[in-house]
Amino acid sequence: MRYIHLASLALVILVLAGCREDESVKPEPTTGTLRLTLVPEWEGQPMQRFTEYRNISDYRMTIELLKMHLGEIRLTNGDADAYLADATYWDLGNGPVSQEWAVAKGTWPAFQAALGIRPELNYADPAAYGPGHPLNVSNGTYWNWATGYRFVMFEGRYDPDPASTATLISAFAIHTGMDTCYTELDLTPATPIVIEGGRTTEVVVRIAVDRFFYSSSDNIDLATENTAHGNNVPLALKFTRYVKDSFSVQ
Amino acid sequence: MIGRAGIAVVSLLVLASCHKDVGEEEVSVSGNTPFALQLPPGFPVPVTPADNPLTTASVQLGKALFFDPRLSRDGSISCASCHLPALAFSDPARVSSGFQGRTGFRNSPTLANLAYHSAFFRDGGVPTLEQQVIAPIHDAVEMDHDINLVAAMLRDVEPYKQLSQQAYGRALDAWVITRSIANYERTLISGWSRYDRYVQGEANALTEQELRGLQLFTSAELNCTSCHSGFDLSDHAFHNVGQYLDYGTDPGRERITLQPGDVGKFKTPTLRNVALTAPYMHDGRMPSLKHVIDHFASGGLPHTNLDPEMRTFTLSDADKADLIAFLESLTDERPLDQVP
Repeated sequence: MRYIHLASLALVILVLAGCREDESVKPEPTTGTLRLTLVPEWEGQPMQRFTEYRNISDYRMTIELLKMHLGEIRLTNGDADAYLADATYWDLGNGPVSQEWAVAKGTWPAFQAALGIRPELNYADPAAYGPGHPLNVSNGTYWNWATGYRFVMFEGRYDPDPASTATLISAFAIHTGMDTCYTELDLTPATPIVIEGGRTTEVVVRIAVDRFFYSSSDNIDLATENTAHGNNVPLALKFTRYVKDSFSVQ
Repeated sequence: MIGRAGIAVVSLLVLASCHKDVGEEEVSVSGNTPFALQLPPGFPVPVTPADNPLTTASVQLGKALFFDPRLSRDGSISCASCHLPALAFSDPARVSSGFQGRTGFRNSPTLANLAYHSAFFRDGGVPTLEQQVIAPIHDAVEMDHDINLVAAMLRDVEPYKQLSQQAYGRALDAWVITRSIANYERTLISGWSRYDRYVQGEANALTEQELRGLQLFTSAELNCTSCHSGFDLSDHAFHNVGQYLDYGTDPGRERITLQPGDVGKFKTPTLRNVALTAPYMHDGRMPSLKHVIDHFASGGLPHTNLDPEMRTFTLSDADKADLIAFLESLTDERPLDQVP
């Protein structure tokens, strides 16, 4: 009888042990998610395509297209880098866009990227990139006559007459590309990025599109500087500088 | 005694070890034999990319695509619309009409002997024939389409479905389209003219007038051969021949290199079939060979980058007629297209 009781007790323990969820065995996630969100704005408000704005020259203008490529997206912590993407594509015409990557948990003091695509990728055969790839030709950023990508495509219409109410007709199209326009971006927030296992950390980068037309020392006059399509390098370089300066990180 | 069950297990293991992963499964490429490219005597064998061997299926596929207007957005323009086979795959228009009649800013050149080029377009902006294929399909003033949409539309349509598998072991996509059209273009070899027969020793292949023209062509005074040399009658290099003092919106090679010293430089065109490929120069502004000769006789306009080989010369009307007669002897006596 005593043996029966002992056997019953052992069976109950086994059953209970089998039913218990062993939390100590469940591995803690070693990676979290980094979400990068680009937010195009005009003077602090969400940028809207086809909305009439006034630029620094007091020109009436609208924006019809804003696309860009960011490359070499990486986190660094001094000991190791987390290389997230060699090329990304952002169509910002319809507002904020986010992209995510899995990142090892930890503290990352620096977050960097490039405005553009590094030369090895920029001149690779685009037919190798299938649909959905950031460098697929269907994105419309491929400069097919020069075998490279337009790093930033910014298009719209303008009227230099601030008093006019006429329909905006004159077009501007500033496209940067080629290696000369490749430039580094520092997306590091004020405090280090902390990635926690299984959780998402978001970095929001605001792009002040109104700043695309000026810096503290000069500006772009759309009346005379409205086209860069590989044939206006000074404008492309100036515009690249303005775009770079328009980024601010939250 | 292993028994039936044991034999079955061993058999399954053996079969499993022989099985290939689905992703590694070989696709039948029956009929995809090397394409027998016919070359004129003395022509070197063109180099083809390692990932795009010249095969029968690939050139057949490329030819079908080359003549298919579905490559354009509204189904109206094929590659052959601007590269007419009867005109050595060139266009008689100064600049070609593309989608909805839109026009570009350069003349469509002959496609003869592209297999020997190392840079494409008149400014050399594209390094491979494969990459070149994308440009006209996407260009808003040419086909105004999207190569991925073209592939999706034609993927299950014959002969593309079968030829694509035969040639490349995969369904039609951007990679296959670019490879196959490039390979078809590689087969467009020019080198069967009366001039070629003369060079090969057939003394009577050229008339007396054409021989006088040849003598002028190779003379130090005219200096044509400083650029139009070799079996393709082109050095495939970039030169400013003084067409303009201001090249405006088309600076030629400078558009690619961004070097001021390259403004106004364009790739030397082949002179093969030149009698068929009017109008002339990068923008098609010269309607006849006589206009071209007159331009070169003038030495060109004194642009900063004017090629030092440009020099003035004087020709009588009879000399010009002789030179033109020689240039006309460069017309192939057989079609460029070798693909049945």
